[in-house]
Amino acid sequence: MTDAHRVVLAWDEGRVEALSVPADETVLEAAGRAGVALPVGCRTGACGTCTGRVLAGSVEHRRPPRALKGRHLAAGYALLCIAEPRADCRIRVGGVLSDLVENPWK
Amino acid sequence: MSDAESPDADVRGDDYDHDHRGPGYSTPQAAIEESDPERLAYVMGLYVGTDVDAPDFLAVVDVDPDSESYGEVVDRVEMPDRGDELHHFGWNACSSSCHMDGLERRHLIVPGQRSSRIHVIDAEDRRDPELTEVVEPEEVFDYDLSAPHTVHCIPDGEIMISMLGDADGELPGGFLLLNDDFEIEGRWDPPGEIDMNYDFWYQPRQNVMVSTEWAAPETYYPGFDLEDVEAGKYGRRLHFWDWTEKEVEQTIDLGEEGMIPLEVRFLHSPVSTHGFVGAALSSNVFHFYEDSADGGRYRAEKVIDVEDREHEDWDMPVPGLVTDLLVSMDDRYLFFSNWLHGDVRMYDVSDPANPRLADRIWAGGHFGPSHPIDGKREVVGGPQMLQLSLDGERLYWTTSLFSSWDEQFYPGEGEKGSVMLKADVDPRRGTMELDGDFLVDFGEMPAGPARAHEIRWPDGDCTSDVWQ
Repeated sequence: MTDAHRVVLAWDEGRVEALSVPADETVLEAAGRAGVALPVGCRTGACGTCTGRVLAGSVEHRRPPRALKGRHLAAGYALLCIAEPRADCRIRVGGVLSDLVENPWK
Repeated sequence: MSDAESPDADVRGDDYDHDHRGPGYSTPQAAIEESDPERLAYVMGLYVGTDVDAPDFLAVVDVDPDSESYGEVVDRVEMPDRGDELHHFGWNACSSSCHMDGLERRHLIVPGQRSSRIHVIDAEDRRDPELTEVVEPEEVFDYDLSAPHTVHCIPDGEIMISMLGDADGELPGGFLLLNDDFEIEGRWDPPGEIDMNYDFWYQPRQNVMVSTEWAAPETYYPGFDLEDVEAGKYGRRLHFWDWTEKEVEQTIDLGEEGMIPLEVRFLHSPVSTHGFVGAALSSNVFHFYEDSADGGRYRAEKVIDVEDREHEDWDMPVPGLVTDLLVSMDDRYLFFSNWLHGDVRMYDVSDPANPRLADRIWAGGHFGPSHPIDGKREVVGGPQMLQLSLDGERLYWTTSLFSSWDEQFYPGEGEKGSVMLKADVDPRRGTMELDGDFLVDFGEMPAGPARAHEIRWPDGDCTSDVWQ
Protein backbone atom coordinates (compact mmCIF):
# COMPACT_ATOMS: atom_id res chain seq x y z
CA MET A 1 0.00 0.00 0.00
CA THR A 2 1.77 3.10 -1.17
CA ASP A 3 -1.12 5.51 -1.64
CA ALA A 4 -0.24 8.92 -0.34
CA HIS A 5 -2.55 10.84 1.94
CA ARG A 6 -2.81 14.54 2.45
CA VAL A 7 -1.86 15.31 6.06
CA VAL A 8 -2.45 18.81 7.37
CA LEU A 9 -0.42 19.73 10.45
CA ALA A 10 -1.96 22.49 12.55
CA TRP A 11 -0.25 24.42 15.33
CA ASP A 12 -2.26 26.18 18.04
CA GLU A 13 -0.84 29.55 16.97
CA GLY A 14 -2.43 29.16 13.53
CA ARG A 15 0.46 27.87 11.45
CA VAL A 16 -0.58 25.14 9.02
CA GLU A 17 1.56 22.84 6.83
CA ALA A 18 0.24 20.33 4.32
CA LEU A 19 2.22 17.17 3.53
CA SER A 20 1.80 14.29 1.17
CA VAL A 21 2.48 11.18 3.26
CA PRO A 22 2.70 7.72 1.67
CA ALA A 23 0.86 5.07 3.64
CA ASP A 24 4.13 3.31 4.48
CA GLU A 25 5.79 6.40 5.88
CA THR A 26 5.33 7.96 9.31
CA VAL A 27 4.07 11.50 9.68
CA LEU A 28 7.36 12.42 11.34
CA GLU A 29 9.43 11.01 8.46
CA ALA A 30 7.34 12.87 5.92
CA ALA A 31 7.59 16.09 7.90
CA GLY A 32 11.37 15.66 8.09
CA ARG A 33 11.54 15.17 4.32
CA ALA A 34 9.54 18.35 3.82
CA GLY A 35 11.77 20.30 6.19
CA VAL A 36 9.02 20.74 8.80
CA ALA A 37 10.42 20.35 12.32
CA LEU A 38 8.20 18.59 14.84
CA PRO A 39 9.07 17.74 18.45
CA VAL A 40 10.77 14.35 18.60
CA GLY A 41 12.37 12.11 21.21
CA CYS A 42 12.89 8.33 21.30
CA ARG A 43 11.46 7.59 17.82
CA THR A 44 10.28 4.21 19.13
CA GLY A 45 6.87 5.11 20.55
CA ALA A 46 7.95 5.10 24.20
CA CYS A 47 8.36 8.75 25.10
CA GLY A 48 5.46 10.77 23.73
CA THR A 49 7.52 13.83 22.76
CA CYS A 50 6.10 13.68 19.22
CA THR A 51 2.46 13.38 20.35
CA GLY A 52 -0.11 14.89 18.03
CA ARG A 53 -3.91 14.82 18.10
CA VAL A 54 -5.73 13.49 15.08
CA LEU A 55 -8.61 15.91 14.56
CA ALA A 56 -9.83 14.30 11.32
CA GLY A 57 -8.86 11.19 9.38
CA SER A 58 -7.04 8.19 10.82
CA VAL A 59 -3.56 6.85 11.44
CA GLU A 60 -2.16 3.45 12.35
CA HIS A 61 0.80 2.93 14.68
CA ARG A 62 3.63 0.86 13.27
CA ARG A 63 4.51 -0.56 16.67
CA PRO A 64 2.79 -0.37 20.06
CA PRO A 65 2.29 3.27 21.11
CA ARG A 66 3.62 2.66 24.63
CA ALA A 67 3.66 6.29 25.68
CA LEU A 68 -0.11 6.57 25.29
CA LYS A 69 -2.71 5.17 27.64
CA GLY A 70 -6.13 3.94 26.54
CA ARG A 71 -7.73 7.27 27.40
CA HIS A 72 -5.24 9.10 25.16
CA LEU A 73 -5.82 6.80 22.19
CA ALA A 74 -9.58 7.13 22.63
CA ALA A 75 -9.22 10.92 22.52
CA GLY A 76 -7.35 10.76 19.21
CA TYR A 77 -3.78 11.27 20.41
CA ALA A 78 -1.14 9.62 18.26
CA LEU A 79 2.65 9.25 18.24
CA LEU A 80 3.79 10.80 14.99
CA CYS A 81 7.16 8.98 15.04
CA ILE A 82 5.35 5.67 14.48
CA ALA A 83 2.02 6.81 12.97
CA GLU A 84 1.26 6.13 9.30
CA PRO A 85 -1.78 7.76 7.68
CA ARG A 86 -4.72 5.62 6.62
CA ALA A 87 -6.76 8.53 5.28
CA ASP A 88 -6.34 12.24 4.68
CA CYS A 89 -5.74 13.73 8.12
CA ARG A 90 -5.73 16.94 10.07
CA ILE A 91 -3.41 16.67 13.07
CA ARG A 92 -2.81 19.15 15.88
CA VAL A 93 0.95 19.38 16.56
CA GLY A 94 3.52 21.28 18.62
CA GLY A 95 3.75 20.73 22.36
CA VAL A 96 0.72 18.43 22.47
CA LEU A 97 2.51 16.11 24.91
CA SER A 98 1.61 18.41 27.78
CA ASP A 99 -2.08 17.53 27.20
CA LEU A 100 -1.50 13.95 28.32
CA VAL A 101 -0.89 14.49 32.03
CA GLU A 102 -1.73 17.38 34.31
CA ASN A 103 -0.29 18.51 37.59
CA PRO A 104 -1.99 15.96 39.86
CA TRP A 105 -2.01 18.22 42.91
CA LYS A 106 -3.24 21.48 41.42
CA MET B 1 43.86 8.65 19.23
CA SER B 2 42.29 9.09 22.61
CA ASP B 3 44.48 9.23 25.63
CA ALA B 4 42.22 6.71 27.21
CA GLU B 5 43.67 4.12 24.86
CA SER B 6 47.21 4.36 25.97
CA PRO B 7 47.66 2.66 29.36
CA ASP B 8 50.41 0.07 29.19
CA ALA B 9 49.38 -3.50 29.69
CA ASP B 10 51.42 -3.81 32.87
CA VAL B 11 49.53 -0.94 34.49
CA ARG B 12 46.28 -2.79 34.01
CA GLY B 13 47.08 -5.09 36.91
CA ASP B 14 44.81 -2.98 39.09
CA ASP B 15 46.60 -3.83 42.30
CA TYR B 16 45.96 -0.77 44.34
CA ASP B 17 48.99 1.21 45.27
CA HIS B 18 49.03 4.82 46.11
CA ASP B 19 50.93 5.90 43.05
CA HIS B 20 49.10 8.81 41.63
CA ARG B 21 50.02 8.97 37.97
CA GLY B 22 46.59 8.99 36.34
CA PRO B 23 43.62 11.37 36.36
CA GLY B 24 42.11 13.05 39.36
CA TYR B 25 43.38 13.25 42.90
CA SER B 26 44.83 10.65 45.23
CA THR B 27 42.30 11.31 48.02
CA PRO B 28 39.19 13.46 48.55
CA GLN B 29 41.25 15.78 50.75
CA ALA B 30 43.83 16.07 47.94
CA ALA B 31 41.00 17.16 45.63
CA ILE B 32 40.18 19.95 48.08
CA GLU B 33 43.79 21.04 48.52
CA GLU B 34 45.17 20.63 45.00
CA SER B 35 42.28 21.81 42.84
CA ASP B 36 42.02 25.38 41.59
CA PRO B 37 38.65 27.11 41.82
CA GLU B 38 36.54 26.12 38.81
CA ARG B 39 36.64 28.67 35.98
CA LEU B 40 34.36 26.84 33.56
CA ALA B 41 31.28 24.72 34.00
CA TYR B 42 29.79 22.27 31.54
CA VAL B 43 26.00 22.30 31.59
CA MET B 44 23.44 20.29 29.63
CA GLY B 45 21.20 22.56 27.53
CA LEU B 46 17.94 21.25 26.07
CA TYR B 47 15.37 22.02 23.39
CA VAL B 48 13.71 18.62 23.30
CA GLY B 49 9.91 18.80 23.27
CA THR B 50 9.71 22.48 22.37
CA ASP B 51 9.09 24.06 18.98
CA VAL B 52 12.66 25.35 18.87
CA ASP B 53 14.12 23.67 15.80
CA ALA B 54 17.57 22.95 17.22
CA PRO B 55 19.37 20.05 18.85
CA ASP B 56 20.28 19.92 22.55
CA PHE B 57 23.74 21.16 23.44
CA LEU B 58 26.58 21.17 25.90
CA ALA B 59 26.98 24.69 27.27
CA VAL B 60 30.37 25.97 28.42
CA VAL B 61 29.70 28.52 31.14
CA ASP B 62 32.23 31.05 32.38
CA VAL B 63 32.26 30.84 36.19
CA ASP B 64 35.44 32.87 36.71
CA PRO B 65 34.46 35.98 38.69
CA ASP B 66 37.50 37.83 37.29
CA SER B 67 36.39 37.25 33.72
CA GLU B 68 34.42 39.78 31.66
CA SER B 69 32.06 37.01 30.57
CA TYR B 70 31.37 35.80 34.13
CA GLY B 71 28.01 34.06 34.21
CA GLU B 72 27.70 33.76 30.43
CA VAL B 73 27.50 30.79 28.11
CA VAL B 74 30.77 31.19 26.18
CA ASP B 75 30.51 28.15 23.91
CA ARG B 76 27.90 25.61 22.86
CA VAL B 77 28.51 22.16 21.41
CA GLU B 78 25.42 21.14 19.45
CA MET B 79 24.46 17.50 19.17
CA PRO B 80 24.04 16.08 15.65
CA ASP B 81 20.32 15.23 16.04
CA ARG B 82 17.26 16.79 17.64
CA GLY B 83 15.32 15.14 20.45
CA ASP B 84 18.03 13.74 22.70
CA GLU B 85 16.97 15.17 26.09
CA LEU B 86 20.52 15.61 27.34
CA HIS B 87 20.30 14.98 31.08
CA HIS B 88 23.21 13.49 33.01
CA PHE B 89 26.75 13.03 31.71
CA GLY B 90 30.20 12.09 32.93
CA TRP B 91 33.90 11.81 32.31
CA ASN B 92 35.79 8.95 30.71
CA ALA B 93 38.06 8.86 33.78
CA CYS B 94 38.06 10.24 37.32
CA SER B 95 39.96 9.76 40.56
CA SER B 96 38.96 6.08 40.63
CA SER B 97 41.60 5.68 37.90
CA CYS B 98 44.23 7.82 39.61
CA HIS B 99 46.57 4.80 39.51
CA MET B 100 46.22 4.49 35.73
CA ASP B 101 49.27 5.99 34.09
CA GLY B 102 48.40 7.59 30.76
CA LEU B 103 44.67 7.84 31.33
CA GLU B 104 43.33 11.39 31.24
CA ARG B 105 40.10 13.05 32.30
CA ARG B 106 39.45 14.32 28.82
CA HIS B 107 36.30 12.96 27.18
CA LEU B 108 32.77 13.74 28.25
CA ILE B 109 30.23 10.96 27.72
CA VAL B 110 26.89 12.64 27.02
CA PRO B 111 23.84 10.38 26.60
CA GLY B 112 20.45 11.37 25.22
CA GLN B 113 17.91 10.24 27.80
CA ARG B 114 15.09 10.02 25.25
CA SER B 115 17.03 9.21 22.10
CA SER B 116 19.35 6.58 23.65
CA ARG B 117 22.11 8.14 21.52
CA ILE B 118 25.47 8.43 23.31
CA HIS B 119 27.83 11.28 22.41
CA VAL B 120 31.53 11.58 23.14
CA ILE B 121 32.96 15.08 23.45
CA ASP B 122 36.68 15.67 23.48
CA ALA B 123 37.37 18.38 26.05
CA GLU B 124 41.14 18.47 25.71
CA ASP B 125 40.69 22.17 25.03
CA ARG B 126 38.52 22.86 28.06
CA ARG B 127 37.07 26.05 26.60
CA ASP B 128 36.45 24.69 23.13
CA PRO B 129 35.29 21.07 23.41
CA GLU B 130 34.42 19.12 20.27
CA LEU B 131 32.00 16.31 19.51
CA THR B 132 34.10 13.41 18.25
CA GLU B 133 32.06 10.22 18.42
CA VAL B 134 28.46 9.07 18.45
CA VAL B 135 27.04 5.70 19.47
CA GLU B 136 23.74 5.43 17.60
CA PRO B 137 20.55 4.28 19.34
CA GLU B 138 20.31 1.11 17.23
CA GLU B 139 23.66 -0.06 18.62
CA VAL B 140 22.30 0.44 22.14
CA PHE B 141 19.00 -1.29 21.37
CA ASP B 142 20.97 -4.33 20.16
CA TYR B 143 21.75 -4.98 23.84
CA ASP B 144 18.04 -4.67 24.69
CA LEU B 145 18.68 -1.49 26.65
CA SER B 146 17.53 2.12 26.33
CA ALA B 147 17.24 5.41 28.20
CA PRO B 148 20.83 6.01 29.38
CA HIS B 149 21.09 7.94 32.63
CA THR B 150 24.05 8.05 35.02
CA VAL B 151 27.58 7.86 33.61
CA HIS B 152 30.40 6.68 35.87
CA CYS B 153 33.88 5.80 34.72
CA ILE B 154 35.11 2.68 36.45
CA PRO B 155 38.64 2.02 37.63
CA ASP B 156 40.08 0.25 34.57
CA GLY B 157 39.24 2.89 31.96
CA GLU B 158 35.78 1.59 31.08
CA ILE B 159 32.59 3.62 31.29
CA MET B 160 29.41 2.33 32.87
CA ILE B 161 25.97 3.81 32.18
CA SER B 162 22.72 3.03 33.97
CA MET B 163 20.02 2.20 31.43
CA LEU B 164 16.43 2.58 32.54
CA GLY B 165 14.61 0.40 30.06
CA ASP B 166 14.81 -2.33 27.45
CA ALA B 167 14.88 -1.59 23.72
CA ASP B 168 11.11 -0.88 23.75
CA GLY B 169 11.24 1.43 26.77
CA GLU B 170 9.77 -1.21 29.05
CA LEU B 171 11.43 -2.98 31.99
CA PRO B 172 13.92 -4.32 32.84
CA GLY B 173 16.75 -1.83 32.66
CA GLY B 174 20.38 -2.61 33.33
CA PHE B 175 23.88 -1.26 32.81
CA LEU B 176 25.84 -0.68 29.60
CA LEU B 177 29.62 -0.77 29.41
CA LEU B 178 31.72 1.24 26.96
CA ASN B 179 35.37 0.40 26.46
CA ASP B 180 38.13 3.00 26.44
CA ASP B 181 37.62 3.46 22.67
CA PHE B 182 33.98 4.42 23.47
CA GLU B 183 32.59 1.33 21.79
CA ILE B 184 29.90 -0.74 23.43
CA GLU B 185 31.53 -3.62 25.20
CA GLY B 186 28.28 -5.17 26.37
CA ARG B 187 26.06 -5.33 29.39
CA TRP B 188 27.66 -5.06 32.77
CA ASP B 189 24.98 -6.96 34.64
CA PRO B 190 23.21 -10.24 33.98
CA PRO B 191 19.85 -9.28 32.36
CA GLY B 192 16.97 -9.33 34.81
CA GLU B 193 19.09 -8.86 37.91
CA ILE B 194 17.05 -5.71 38.53
CA ASP B 195 13.78 -4.46 37.11
CA MET B 196 13.83 -0.67 37.57
CA ASN B 197 16.97 1.40 37.47
CA TYR B 198 18.03 5.00 37.83
CA ASP B 199 21.17 6.31 39.55
CA PHE B 200 24.13 4.36 40.91
CA TRP B 201 27.33 4.92 42.86
CA TYR B 202 30.10 2.46 43.54
CA GLN B 203 32.46 2.31 46.49
CA PRO B 204 35.14 -0.07 45.21
CA ARG B 205 37.18 -0.39 48.42
CA GLN B 206 34.03 -1.80 50.04
CA ASN B 207 33.19 -3.91 46.98
CA VAL B 208 29.72 -2.39 46.88
CA MET B 209 27.57 -0.54 44.39
CA VAL B 210 24.14 0.91 45.13
CA SER B 211 21.46 1.55 42.50
CA THR B 212 18.06 3.25 42.73
CA GLU B 213 14.71 3.13 40.93
CA TRP B 214 12.70 5.60 38.87
CA ALA B 215 10.31 3.71 36.58
CA ALA B 216 10.12 2.25 33.08
CA PRO B 217 10.88 4.86 30.42
CA GLU B 218 7.42 4.36 28.90
CA THR B 219 6.04 5.34 32.33
CA TYR B 220 8.08 8.45 33.22
CA TYR B 221 8.88 9.75 29.72
CA PRO B 222 5.42 11.17 28.90
CA GLY B 223 5.03 12.81 32.32
CA PHE B 224 4.13 12.11 35.93
CA ASP B 225 0.76 10.36 36.23
CA LEU B 226 -0.46 9.63 39.76
CA GLU B 227 -2.36 6.67 38.32
CA ASP B 228 1.03 5.06 37.60
CA VAL B 229 2.10 5.54 41.21
CA GLU B 230 -1.10 3.86 42.39
CA ALA B 231 -0.47 1.02 39.92
CA GLY B 232 2.96 0.40 41.47
CA LYS B 233 4.82 1.51 38.37
CA TYR B 234 7.23 3.79 40.26
CA GLY B 235 10.18 2.54 42.26
CA ARG B 236 10.94 2.61 45.98
CA ARG B 237 13.84 0.19 46.40
CA LEU B 238 17.61 0.35 46.77
CA HIS B 239 19.79 -2.40 45.36
CA PHE B 240 23.15 -3.18 46.92
CA TRP B 241 25.42 -5.00 44.50
CA ASP B 242 28.55 -7.06 44.89
CA TRP B 243 30.74 -4.78 42.77
CA THR B 244 33.12 -7.45 41.48
CA GLU B 245 30.55 -10.25 41.09
CA LYS B 246 27.98 -7.89 39.47
CA GLU B 247 25.12 -9.40 41.42
CA VAL B 248 22.51 -7.85 43.67
CA GLU B 249 23.33 -8.95 47.21
CA GLN B 250 20.54 -7.14 48.99
CA THR B 251 17.44 -5.13 48.10
CA ILE B 252 15.89 -2.70 50.54
CA ASP B 253 12.27 -1.65 50.08
CA LEU B 254 12.04 1.91 51.41
CA GLY B 255 8.24 1.70 51.58
CA GLU B 256 5.79 4.57 51.26
CA GLU B 257 8.27 6.99 52.79
CA GLY B 258 10.81 6.17 50.11
CA MET B 259 8.89 6.59 46.87
CA ILE B 260 11.05 7.24 43.80
CA PRO B 261 14.57 7.10 45.23
CA LEU B 262 16.64 9.07 42.73
CA GLU B 263 20.13 10.49 43.26
CA VAL B 264 22.33 8.31 45.47
CA ARG B 265 25.77 9.16 46.90
CA PHE B 266 28.22 7.28 49.02
CA LEU B 267 30.45 9.49 51.12
CA HIS B 268 33.68 10.25 49.27
CA SER B 269 36.04 8.67 51.75
CA PRO B 270 36.88 5.27 50.27
CA VAL B 271 36.67 3.65 53.70
CA SER B 272 33.11 4.80 54.30
CA THR B 273 30.07 2.56 53.98
CA HIS B 274 27.65 5.43 54.59
CA GLY B 275 25.62 7.25 51.99
CA PHE B 276 22.45 9.19 51.26
CA VAL B 277 19.60 8.89 48.81
CA GLY B 278 16.78 11.32 48.10
CA ALA B 279 13.29 9.84 47.78
CA ALA B 280 11.90 12.40 45.36
CA LEU B 281 8.17 11.75 45.54
CA SER B 282 8.03 11.12 49.30
CA SER B 283 10.32 14.14 49.78
CA ASN B 284 12.56 12.39 52.29
CA VAL B 285 16.29 11.77 52.60
CA PHE B 286 17.46 8.32 53.68
CA HIS B 287 20.79 7.51 55.26
CA PHE B 288 22.10 4.05 54.41
CA TYR B 289 25.03 2.24 55.97
CA GLU B 290 26.55 -1.15 56.43
CA ASP B 291 25.50 -2.57 59.76
CA SER B 292 28.48 -4.51 61.13
CA ALA B 293 26.27 -5.84 63.94
CA ASP B 294 24.06 -7.43 61.28
CA GLY B 295 26.68 -9.37 59.34
CA GLY B 296 27.52 -6.45 57.10
CA ARG B 297 24.02 -6.04 55.70
CA TYR B 298 22.93 -2.58 54.67
CA ARG B 299 20.25 -0.61 56.46
CA ALA B 300 18.41 2.52 55.26
CA GLU B 301 16.73 4.95 57.61
CA LYS B 302 14.80 8.12 56.92
CA VAL B 303 16.74 11.01 58.41
CA ILE B 304 15.18 14.10 56.80
CA ASP B 305 11.47 14.55 56.16
CA VAL B 306 10.33 17.52 54.09
CA GLU B 307 6.77 18.38 55.07
CA ASP B 308 4.20 19.04 52.33
CA ARG B 309 2.98 22.63 52.28
CA GLU B 310 -0.41 24.16 51.57
CA HIS B 311 -0.44 26.55 48.60
CA GLU B 312 -3.41 28.80 47.88
CA ASP B 313 -3.42 27.91 44.18
CA TRP B 314 -3.13 24.15 44.67
CA ASP B 315 -5.86 21.69 45.64
CA MET B 316 -3.49 19.37 47.45
CA PRO B 317 -0.51 20.11 49.71
CA VAL B 318 2.65 20.57 47.66
CA PRO B 319 5.42 18.01 48.24
CA GLY B 320 8.98 19.34 48.26
CA LEU B 321 10.30 16.83 45.72
CA VAL B 322 13.88 16.10 46.77
CA THR B 323 15.20 15.76 43.23
CA ASP B 324 18.96 16.07 43.71
CA LEU B 325 21.43 15.81 46.55
CA LEU B 326 25.19 15.80 46.93
CA VAL B 327 27.82 15.41 49.62
CA SER B 328 30.69 17.88 49.97
CA MET B 329 34.16 16.51 49.20
CA ASP B 330 35.04 16.57 52.92
CA ASP B 331 31.91 14.50 53.69
CA ARG B 332 30.75 17.08 56.22
CA TYR B 333 27.76 18.59 54.40
CA LEU B 334 24.80 17.27 52.49
CA PHE B 335 23.04 19.64 50.09
CA PHE B 336 19.68 18.91 48.51
CA SER B 337 17.12 20.63 46.34
CA ASN B 338 13.40 20.91 47.07
CA TRP B 339 12.39 21.45 43.49
CA LEU B 340 8.69 22.17 44.00
CA HIS B 341 9.03 24.24 47.16
CA GLY B 342 11.96 26.28 45.85
CA ASP B 343 14.69 25.94 48.47
CA VAL B 344 18.12 24.40 48.52
CA ARG B 345 19.27 23.12 51.90
CA MET B 346 22.60 22.51 53.57
CA TYR B 347 22.84 19.90 56.37
CA ASP B 348 25.73 19.09 58.65
CA VAL B 349 26.19 15.32 58.29
CA SER B 350 29.23 14.93 60.52
CA ASP B 351 26.92 12.46 62.29
CA PRO B 352 25.32 10.93 59.19
CA ALA B 353 22.50 9.31 61.16
CA ASN B 354 21.46 12.70 62.53
CA PRO B 355 21.69 15.43 59.90
CA ARG B 356 21.45 18.95 61.29
CA LEU B 357 20.01 21.77 59.14
CA ALA B 358 22.78 24.34 58.78
CA ASP B 359 21.33 26.78 56.26
CA ARG B 360 18.97 27.16 53.32
CA ILE B 361 18.30 29.50 50.41
CA TRP B 362 14.95 30.19 48.77
CA ALA B 363 15.13 30.93 45.04
CA GLY B 364 12.14 30.40 42.76
CA GLY B 365 9.88 27.39 43.14
CA HIS B 366 6.28 27.63 44.30
CA PHE B 367 7.16 29.22 47.65
CA GLY B 368 10.41 31.11 47.09
CA PRO B 369 10.87 34.55 45.52
CA SER B 370 10.33 34.58 41.75
CA HIS B 371 13.07 37.22 41.50
CA PRO B 372 15.64 35.99 44.03
CA ILE B 373 18.11 38.55 42.65
CA ASP B 374 16.86 42.13 42.44
CA GLY B 375 17.13 43.53 38.93
CA LYS B 376 17.68 40.16 37.29
CA ARG B 377 15.20 37.97 35.42
CA GLU B 378 12.42 35.89 36.88
CA VAL B 379 13.25 32.32 37.92
CA VAL B 380 10.74 29.81 36.53
CA GLY B 381 11.30 26.46 38.20
CA GLY B 382 12.98 25.58 41.46
CA PRO B 383 16.50 24.60 42.53
CA GLN B 384 17.21 21.26 40.89
CA MET B 385 20.55 19.83 39.69
CA LEU B 386 23.29 20.82 42.13
CA GLN B 387 27.05 20.97 41.84
CA LEU B 388 29.52 21.99 44.52
CA SER B 389 33.07 23.25 44.04
CA LEU B 390 35.72 20.79 45.14
CA ASP B 391 36.71 23.13 47.98
CA GLY B 392 33.09 23.24 49.14
CA GLU B 393 32.83 27.02 48.90
CA ARG B 394 30.54 27.50 45.88
CA LEU B 395 27.25 25.73 45.24
CA TYR B 396 25.62 26.04 41.81
CA TRP B 397 22.28 24.81 40.54
CA THR B 398 20.00 24.74 37.52
CA THR B 399 16.19 24.66 37.49
CA SER B 400 14.94 22.03 35.02
CA LEU B 401 14.04 18.49 36.07
CA PHE B 402 12.86 16.72 32.93
CA SER B 403 11.18 18.35 29.94
CA SER B 404 7.80 16.63 30.25
CA TRP B 405 7.70 16.95 34.05
CA ASP B 406 8.70 20.62 33.85
CA GLU B 407 5.67 21.15 31.61
CA GLN B 408 3.40 19.85 34.37
CA PHE B 409 4.86 21.64 37.35
CA TYR B 410 6.52 24.74 35.84
CA PRO B 411 4.79 25.19 32.49
CA GLY B 412 6.54 28.50 31.79
CA GLU B 413 10.07 27.15 31.98
CA GLY B 414 10.19 25.91 28.39
CA GLU B 415 9.20 29.33 27.04
CA LYS B 416 11.39 31.39 29.33
CA GLY B 417 14.34 29.05 29.69
CA SER B 418 16.16 27.82 32.79
CA VAL B 419 18.62 29.70 34.92
CA MET B 420 21.78 28.68 36.70
CA LEU B 421 22.35 30.25 40.12
CA LYS B 422 25.14 30.15 42.66
CA ALA B 423 25.59 30.47 46.40
CA ASP B 424 28.79 31.22 48.25
CA VAL B 425 29.22 28.66 51.00
CA ASP B 426 31.17 29.07 54.24
CA PRO B 427 31.92 25.48 55.26
CA ARG B 428 33.53 26.65 58.49
CA ARG B 429 30.40 28.44 59.67
CA GLY B 430 27.87 26.28 57.83
CA THR B 431 26.27 29.16 55.94
CA MET B 432 25.25 29.97 52.36
CA GLU B 433 24.57 33.24 50.61
CA LEU B 434 23.09 33.72 47.13
CA ASP B 435 25.57 35.40 44.76
CA GLY B 436 23.69 38.46 43.46
CA ASP B 437 26.15 38.87 40.57
CA PHE B 438 25.65 35.43 39.12
CA LEU B 439 22.71 34.34 37.00
CA VAL B 440 23.21 32.37 33.80
CA ASP B 441 20.19 33.03 31.61
CA PHE B 442 19.43 30.04 29.39
CA GLY B 443 16.48 32.04 28.08
CA GLU B 444 18.94 34.02 25.98
CA MET B 445 20.43 31.33 23.75
CA PRO B 446 20.81 32.01 20.00
CA ALA B 447 18.28 29.37 18.88
CA GLY B 448 15.76 30.24 21.60
CA PRO B 449 15.12 29.65 25.32
CA ALA B 450 16.64 26.40 26.59
CA ARG B 451 16.30 24.25 29.68
CA ALA B 452 19.44 23.50 31.71
CA HIS B 453 20.17 20.32 33.65
CA GLU B 454 23.33 18.66 35.01
CA ILE B 455 26.53 20.63 35.80
CA ARG B 456 30.13 19.36 35.81
CA TRP B 457 33.53 20.96 36.34
CA PRO B 458 36.48 20.37 34.05
CA ASP B 459 38.60 18.83 36.79
CA GLY B 460 36.36 16.64 38.88
CA ASP B 461 33.38 17.31 41.06
CA CYS B 462 31.40 16.18 44.06
CA THR B 463 28.96 13.97 42.15
CA SER B 464 31.28 11.88 40.03
CA ASP B 465 34.71 11.39 41.56
CA VAL B 466 35.13 8.04 43.33
CA TRP B 467 38.21 6.69 45.09
CA GLN B 468 39.49 3.17 44.97
